[in-house]
This record gives sequence, C-alpha cells and structure tokens, in this order.
Amino acid sequence: MTGETLFNQYPIASHIWDEMKSAEGIRQQYHSIYDTGRQLHLDDLLQKHKLAGELFMSQGITFTVYSENEGIERIFPFDIIPRIITGAEWDHIEKGIKQRLTALNLFLKDIYNEQQIVKDGIIPADLIASCPHFTREVFGIQVPFDIYVHIAGIDLIRGDDGTFYILEDNLRTPSGVSYMLENREVTKRIFPNLLGESNVRMVNNYPLLLHDNLISFAPRQIANPMVVLLTPGIYNSAYFEHTFLARQMGIQLVEGRDLLVNDHKVYMKTTAGLRQVDVIYRRIDDEYLDPLVFKPDSALGVPGLISAYRKGNVAIVNALGNGVADDKAVYAFVPAMIKYYLNEEIILPNIPTYHMNNVDERNFVFDNMHKMVVKETNQSGGYGMVMGNSATDEQLKKAKENILANPRNFIAQPIIQLSTVPCLIDGKLQPRHVDLRPYALCGPNGINIVPGGLTRVALREGSLVVNSSQGGGSKDTWVVD
Amino acid sequence: MLSRIADSLYWLHRYMERADGMLRLMKTSYILSFDKVQASGMTWEPSLKIFTSLSKEEIELLKKDNVAALHYLFLESKNHNSIKVIITRARENARGVQDQITKEVWEQINQMYHMVNNPSLKDILAGPDAIIAIDNFINSSDQFCGITDSTMPRGQGWNYMNLGKYTERCLLTAEFTHSFFKKIDFSLTEEHDIIYWRSLLLALSGYELHLKNYSNQDHNYNVLQQLAFDKNFPRSLYYSLDRANKYLTDIAASNPVDGSIHLLRTYGRLYSSVKFADIELVERDGLEKYLIYVRKELNEFSRELGRTYFSYS
Repeated sequence: MTGETLFNQYPIASHIWDEMKSAEGIRQQYHSIYDTGRQLHLDDLLQKHKLAGELFMSQGITFTVYSENEGIERIFPFDIIPRIITGAEWDHIEKGIKQRLTALNLFLKDIYNEQQIVKDGIIPADLIASCPHFTREVFGIQVPFDIYVHIAGIDLIRGDDGTFYILEDNLRTPSGVSYMLENREVTKRIFPNLLGESNVRMVNNYPLLLHDNLISFAPRQIANPMVVLLTPGIYNSAYFEHTFLARQMGIQLVEGRDLLVNDHKVYMKTTAGLRQVDVIYRRIDDEYLDPLVFKPDSALGVPGLISAYRKGNVAIVNALGNGVADDKAVYAFVPAMIKYYLNEEIILPNIPTYHMNNVDERNFVFDNMHKMVVKETNQSGGYGMVMGNSATDEQLKKAKENILANPRNFIAQPIIQLSTVPCLIDGKLQPRHVDLRPYALCGPNGINIVPGGLTRVALREGSLVVNSSQGGGSKDTWVVD
Repeated sequence: MLSRIADSLYWLHRYMERADGMLRLMKTSYILSFDKVQASGMTWEPSLKIFTSLSKEEIELLKKDNVAALHYLFLESKNHNSIKVIITRARENARGVQDQITKEVWEQINQMYHMVNNPSLKDILAGPDAIIAIDNFINSSDQFCGITDSTMPRGQGWNYMNLGKYTERCLLTAEFTHSFFKKIDFSLTEEHDIIYWRSLLLALSGYELHLKNYSNQDHNYNVLQQLAFDKNFPRSLYYSLDRANKYLTDIAASNPVDGSIHLLRTYGRLYSSVKFADIELVERDGLEKYLIYVRKELNEFSRELGRTYFSYS
C-alpha cells in the first residue's frame, strides 16, 4: 500500500478533535509529515517501526516482566508518527502551566506554614485534614527558595472543540521524561530529514536545566555540591529513567543502602570513606524515604533523613508532602488558589470535578454514571479508575458501593473525549486517543518547560486510558514554529 | 566512588571473565567430543566439574551426552554458573551501575543478555550450528573487552573492573590447570604428548604461544611453566596476579582506609608465592598443594577486599 492511500484512508470522527485532520483536510502543522509519509510505502513505515523497537531494545530502554522466576524484557510501545503542536498552542500551554505551578508552590508553602488559605475559607479544612498525603511530619520545614515542586508533570488533554484542559497535576515524582528525550533521539534516527526540515523546538537541554537547578538548591555554599539521584533500585519499573538522568547530568545514582545519616547530615558510603551529600533528587515516594518517620519496614530509604532535611542540611527534590497539592479532590480548588494567590483567572481550565462527599453532587453523578469517570483521589497511574461508558453494571454497582463507603476518597468527572492522533497499527493509520505531559522545572530563576513533553497514547481502540501500566504507548511530541 | 558501585564493577568483570573462560573451554570440549580417540576422558568432564555443582554420578551421565552437557552448561537456570545465569548476573550488576559505565559497555552487555535469552538458542545449541553460536558468544565477549578498553575512562572504576577481571582469570587458570593435571595425578615426569595438553592450551588461548616458545619434549613441565609463570602469556597465574597487583596498588593509594594496608599484605603474600616460585619449588612441595594454595589465598583475598572496600550493607 502506498503512503498516499494510507493517509487518505485515515478516518476521523465528527465529535472528536483529531490532531492531524479536520473536516477540511490535513491541518497545517501536519503537512510536512503528510508530504513525507505519502511518498513512502507502507513497508518503509513498517521497517521504521521495527527499527525503532530494536533501538529501544538494544539500549535497554525496557522494563522487566517477571513470570516463572524469569524476567522478560519489554519495551514501552512507541509509535513512529509524531504528535505535533503549533508554536501558538504551545505558548498558551506554557503560560497556563507556569501560572498553575506558581500558585501550587504558594499553596504548598502556605499549607505547611500559616494555612492562610484555609483560615480565609477558600479551601475547607476537612479536605486538607482528610487528605492522606497531607504530611504533618514536614510541617514548618523551610525549603530553599520556597520551592516545593521542583519537577512537575502536568497532564493535559484536548477536548472535542480543541481546548486544552488540565487533567491532573503530578507534583511528587513524575516519571516519563526519559521517554520524551529518547523518543526524540529515535525520531532523529528514523525521520532525520523530516525532523530537520520541520523547525521543531529542542528538548534535549532538559537534563542541563535540571542539573543547574539541583546544584542551586545545595544548602552548603561550596563549589561542587554533592548531588545524588536516589533510586529504589534495579527492580523499579522506572529504573532506566533513573540511570538515564543520572548519566545525562553526571550525578551519582545511589540507593538507600548507600546513604547514612550522622549528626543530622547525610553521607554516602564510598570506597574512600564517607562523603557528605547536599542535594537528593529522590525517585522514591515520601512514605519510603525514612523508616524512622514513615513506614518502619521500608528498606528503600535512609533512617534519619527527615531529621537532616528539617535541619536544612540536605535538600530533597521534590519536597515531601507535595501529595496534598496533587490530590484529585484538591485539584478542583486550583482555580480558586490561582485567584487567591495571584489574583488572576485560570488560563488552562480544569475539568469539572464532583466531590463525592457532597450529597447533591454525588446524587447527580450517580444519576449520570455512564457519562462519568470515577477516580480515587490519591491514586495515580490509571489505577482505581472506573470509566462509566465502558464499565459493566456490576462494576458500576461496585463503584457506587465503594464511593458510599468512603466518599472523600473519590471524585467524578464528566468523560471527555480525548483528542486523537494517527498511529501505525496493523498496517493502517488509525486514530487513537492521547494526552500530553509537559515537564516543568522550577528553580531560583523561574519556571522552565521544555517545549513538548510526553504524548501518551491509548493503543487499544476507543480506550481513553493512556497510562503505560494500562497498555498505553508513547509518541515523540513536536512543537513546531 | 560508592562502595556499592565498586562492588558491582568488580563483580561485573568477574562474571564476564568467567563467561569468557567458560565459553573457550566449552568450545574446545565441544570440538574434542567429535574426536573419538580423545573422547574417552577429557571432553565435558573439566567443564562440568568446574562450572557445576553436580555429583560424580550426574557428571558421568552428562559427559557422554553432547547436547545435554552443552545445554546444562549454557542455558540451565538451575546451574548457578551457566552462561545464561552468569550473563544475567553481569547485566544486573551493569544495570545497577549504568551511570558509571559507558553507554557502549552497557549496550554490549545488554546485547549479550538478549542473545542468551533468545528463545531459538536452545535449538541452535542442540543442532549442527552449535559451534557457530558458541563462536558468536566468544566474539561478543572479545568485543566486550575491546569496547571496555576503548571507551571506559581510566580511574577508580577501571581499577575495580580490572581487579575483578584478573582475579577471576587467575582463578580460572588455576582451576583449569588443576583439573587437567589431576587426571594424571599431578605428575610432572610422566610423559604426555601435546595432544593431551592441546585442549587445555586451546581453552586458555595459549596453544600457539606454546608451539612457538616451548620445545617438543617435557610437555608437562613446559605446560606448567607457561600456565603458571610465563610473563608473556596473558592468562598465566603470574601475569594475572601481576596485573591485579597494579590495580590493587592504585586502589589502595586513592582509598586510604583502615584495612587497606592489611589487604595489601594479604595480597603481597599470594603474589610473591607465584612471582618468586619456580617449577623446582612447586615440584618439591607438590603441584596439587600449590594450586590449592593459590586458589584458597585468592578467595580469601577477594573476601577481604569486600570487607575493606565494599562493606555498605
């Protein structure tokens, strides 16, 4: 089959926004892809698809599935057709994310110190108090430059009219940035000319920006502060990303057992004795970081770490306790936060969110269950989610029971038809739903967002769940000028 | 350098060196197995004795079955020293230190891991192309050495890697030598023609050197001289220990911690016992005793090295 037919046969649905094609034809930003694609044969595209898979495999960009005591290496599915965003769209997104993060940082400072926003009645106290990730243990701890969210992954989706919405905030340890960078490297190999001609904004300075920020958080005023990346170890599914970032930044990759705390200072155990650590970019969840304060049986963390943190002898990135700000019930209050702290209107809108502990909203949701998606407030990765339009009656009944048992633990949102992009599946171009996760870095010099981010694709037909743990894949994301 | 990293680099190279030695021994055993005259004794027995923990009876059964022996040594997960297990462990160590080794080194190990996990390898090893498969692995192992040599920065990591490599190499040479001399009761005087020694020398890549440098008589002496004391043979006990000595000295100089002096002394005793020994001395005290001594001291050294530099848990 020729590329021409492949592109011409690409179907679009009237009620869904497609990134490549509108009723009038191929959108401007996709013309270069279209021109290149239609000159290629299907076999060429399949060949490129195969090459991409091999590149990921040989570099070990894999995760391990364990069965019968033997590990099988899998790659995260990668689709070769890039997702394209125009420069104007991006500038809007960038402004919106910067605004949102500024407010969320102020919120975290406030909530762990004065709690003015609660006292002023903007956010109900019981919502904060009942949030499982509100971490009393870090109350009053001062962090460098008042930055709590050093690295954020803000998930955006696009509705049927082309509007970008904020789907959720990931302010704890968002992952996936290595895929954003590696996807681009792979695209350079499979579409070298196309990439060169398309004026795509660069993403590969991300590790440098992050490294500069990490160094600036060091509490000691010394020339070469010791910055480390703390990983749970090789069995973690994001381990590739940890090594990738450590390598790209030239910092030490450490495990909890490599560190110890003495006299409220953190040291790492080297062959030449102990060496003090200044900044920890941790990829371990809060509750595993310090067995003396959180889970006593965690072997991943470092006993005494929080004491060093409280004394200001070590910087931890991201700050502890951020979960209170990306809780899915608190999410609904972000527009109010922006108004309260910045006196601005929200640039990138939220999706309407119904709180299940509000009786009226709950009844409304129960009556419209098939149009709703129900989410657990403290879950991520697509776990604990019920899609009303595809769930069985049994599942819906169970979901209602769960909600009634613990209403604070759930929110509901109307199902938004995510926008689609073309994917090469079974030798055809087929529309699949996507979201977008740009990565934002907050440092003393402001907020940096590398243009693009990770586009996640729901590879199953019709599916709206893009998480990699639920059968999602990814695409390279281009911001073109 | 983090203790854990040093530990992993050391073991990464021990495993890779072990896989290399094993592959070479397997290749000679495999070729030898088609040689009816030789097939009597020394085909799979040395490999099975050194690299498995099977009982005598099990070895007796396996050593006559080419396919089964090769499978057990190469792919059997129950065998803690099979190529598959060793390469998997090497990769795990490499994964844990991925930021400390170069991308090229990582990709080479990763590639070998995918080779050994290729589902079709089992059938290939049971078929007529087994030798090609073994050769491919030997090539990859050579590439690993080359890539490591040409991309890894010299420094602490390099020192630990090479210390591991030469420690393992010395152990392997001692093991191989032990197993071939044991068959003739460690006799240095009893004459065995070069055919008997050829497979041992081939397994250690020392056959050509032997033909060039040694006379065509007193093979037992000559072989021992080459494998233990030859300064130019890169797998001799002396050469391995001499290289290891250099890397250990560098490590101790840049990591002056408690215990490093003691460690250097332990190693020095072992090193001297090879550096200043000769055939006459070995003959006087008994070859078996000597080879056992070297292995025992080397293992003790490895344990002490761990206590001195790797104690992180």
